Amino acid sequence: MKKFQTKKIAASIVIIAVAIISFAFINQERITVKGSDTMVILAQKWAEVYMKKNPNASIQVTGGGSGTGISALINGSTDICNASRKMKQTEIDKLKARYNTLGVEVPCAKDGITIYLHPTNKVKELTLKQLSDIFSGRIKNWKDVGGANAEIRLYGRENSSGTYVFFKDYVVKADYAPNCQTLPGTAAVVNAVKKDVNAIGYGGAAYSAGIEICKIKKDDKSPAYEANAETIKKNQYPITRYLYMYLRNRPTGAMKAYIDWILSPEGQSLVTEMGYFPVR
Amino acid sequence: MKKIYLVILVLSFITINVKAQSVEDSLRDQITEMKDRINGIDERLMTSESDLSKLTKIKLSGYIQTQFDNFENKAVQPNNYFSLRRVRLKATYEAADGIKFVVQPDFSPSGFSLKDAYVVLNDHFIKSGMFKNSLSLTAGKFNRLNYEVEYSSSQRELPERSTVIRALYPGERALGFKLEVNPQSIPIKLQLGMFNGNDGGFTQFSDTTGKSANNNIENKDFDNFKDIMARATYSLKLGDFGGLDFGAHAYFGSLKSSTNATLHSDYTTVDSSKVGDAVKRNWFGAEFQLFADVLGGMSLKGEYITGKNAMLGGSKFANGSLLPNFQNNFAGYYVYLIKNIGSKNQFAFRYDYYDPNTDITGSDVKVVKYNGDASKKIGKLTSSKADLAYTTLTFAWHYYFDDNIRISLAYAIVQNEKVAKNTAGVGNLTESYTNPDGTTGVNDYSDVFKQNQLTIRLQAKF
Repeated sequence: MKKFQTKKIAASIVIIAVAIISFAFINQERITVKGSDTMVILAQKWAEVYMKKNPNASIQVTGGGSGTGISALINGSTDICNASRKMKQTEIDKLKARYNTLGVEVPCAKDGITIYLHPTNKVKELTLKQLSDIFSGRIKNWKDVGGANAEIRLYGRENSSGTYVFFKDYVVKADYAPNCQTLPGTAAVVNAVKKDVNAIGYGGAAYSAGIEICKIKKDDKSPAYEANAETIKKNQYPITRYLYMYLRNRPTGAMKAYIDWILSPEGQSLVTEMGYFPVR
Repeated sequence: MKKIYLVILVLSFITINVKAQSVEDSLRDQITEMKDRINGIDERLMTSESDLSKLTKIKLSGYIQTQFDNFENKAVQPNNYFSLRRVRLKATYEAADGIKFVVQPDFSPSGFSLKDAYVVLNDHFIKSGMFKNSLSLTAGKFNRLNYEVEYSSSQRELPERSTVIRALYPGERALGFKLEVNPQSIPIKLQLGMFNGNDGGFTQFSDTTGKSANNNIENKDFDNFKDIMARATYSLKLGDFGGLDFGAHAYFGSLKSSTNATLHSDYTTVDSSKVGDAVKRNWFGAEFQLFADVLGGMSLKGEYITGKNAMLGGSKFANGSLLPNFQNNFAGYYVYLIKNIGSKNQFAFRYDYYDPNTDITGSDVKVVKYNGDASKKIGKLTSSKADLAYTTLTFAWHYYFDDNIRISLAYAIVQNEKVAKNTAGVGNLTESYTNPDGTTGVNDYSDVFKQNQLTIRLQAKF
């Protein structure tokens, strides 16, 4: 209904455009990586090897859990977030509100969530339904799944863990039993199961050295599979997942070089070396 | 002699044996005591863990916005001051998986008001299919169903919401309930709400000079009519470029008439109505939000809303005539451009337009034809400042000191719709004011006069 002071507006827009372009090309030197405890040993290995090859690169890796990593990505305290689950819509909405992006998802490895048992446990395989019943507290005694007459002791991760969320969403499909003891890190779960004859725990395949692994069946009629490179590559192992790196924006400069290297044959060979499974 | 040695040996053996027995007993006692202690600690730890897990269900968050404003409109006195714009404390209690209680008061130096108080129940009944666990019910007092309304003031890139949103959703919140469907497999969100419909107050004529908002009856309904809102949004991913969210919302509301006529915003048409009839308030809006990963994050957001709003009549003129209700056709829109610059800085721009009366133009305001002659029989209403359109162009720069602190500088260029001039060359609508030194001045609406606003804000969030 009326005219604008177009000259003033045009001048303002030009000034702002120049400022935006100037700031946008500020280079980033140091890369911080935070998140999944499942991925922390892999992320540390990547950083260590990459920094040896590129002495100018500085990469700092910490764990804390996928949820913690995603929060750090949203609040700007990390450049890369490692997550063993996908970002939730509410988390993407927070990223949109603060940074006006949907984030960038980089699948960088595959993992099979492994069920740890004490070596003396008679139970050697379970169905997904039995796992759900065990971790939700519907089955409380090993005799109900073919084991000894003993109470099942549950060990799992804290709710900031991506493994906790993934296992809940895809296997338990209900609330965890109240007596499921939460521990900080997969290594702690493995240690607890090693010491407790009636224990069962879950975590990444890379932590399964020196502990009994339970084979998993999709249902009663399906064959049981152990998490290994072949069963995961063929999608036979029923609890297979991707491991992700999340970034706020499309990577450029040093960050792009690092991520390209992670996805290269050299970076992916470290995935195998560390007990995970490559994406390519 | 041999006998003596034998007796000593036997006695020594007995003594040693008794001592060993005693040590063993003592050790057993100590182990039992330690076990009891550990059990006791275990028990206390379990109690503490149980108490702690209850506490972790309570989440406290909030923010404080303290600011300095400078108004260029000389009619605003004082024209610069410090204020606490928002002081919010939000308490969320997750009673169980899928059940959430939220209470959020807003504090001000003179008291506090309840902004939000609602319970959210998430669906646990739909176990399979595309709507698995996708339903939620919210009941209480909460934000109405609109993008800018639901977008938190602590996140918003400009100090205040757009003019059209502030006019349609005063106070943002309403009492009622909403059903939300948010399927995990389809990026769609459907919302349906029912509200009292008068939250934030509604405008009622108070005298012969125009309109004024004088009726704020929050927390209690004014009539038996309930207002219905619906909103649907769809999120589209655009590959590496970003994403596009788009949607629409509709509002179907009514106010109870307390007079026998309704004047339309052309100031000519009068509908006769009975006391108790529904005076309709219906509008529709279309929205989009485009997020692009171009040299860092950038977004372009917009919304257009058009429809019919209403104000209640009822109070009497001095001559005893009843004032009519007033129904106005309106239109408004806003467009945001937001650009993140690095991780610490952000620039935002908004073009915002609101015309509360699309039936007449600015030059018609106060012109005889539009002075409500047709409504004389029920009381004469005249077109006024409230019928003028406004355009606001706002620029803002934010510096994120850290995750908790944001410093903002915003400048709003406000432009009024112009009215016609009379034969003396003066606008048909003027507004006089008194300067601090006692001199007087006039804002003449036949021109765009200075009414820009500068805001410097510090926001602390936790």
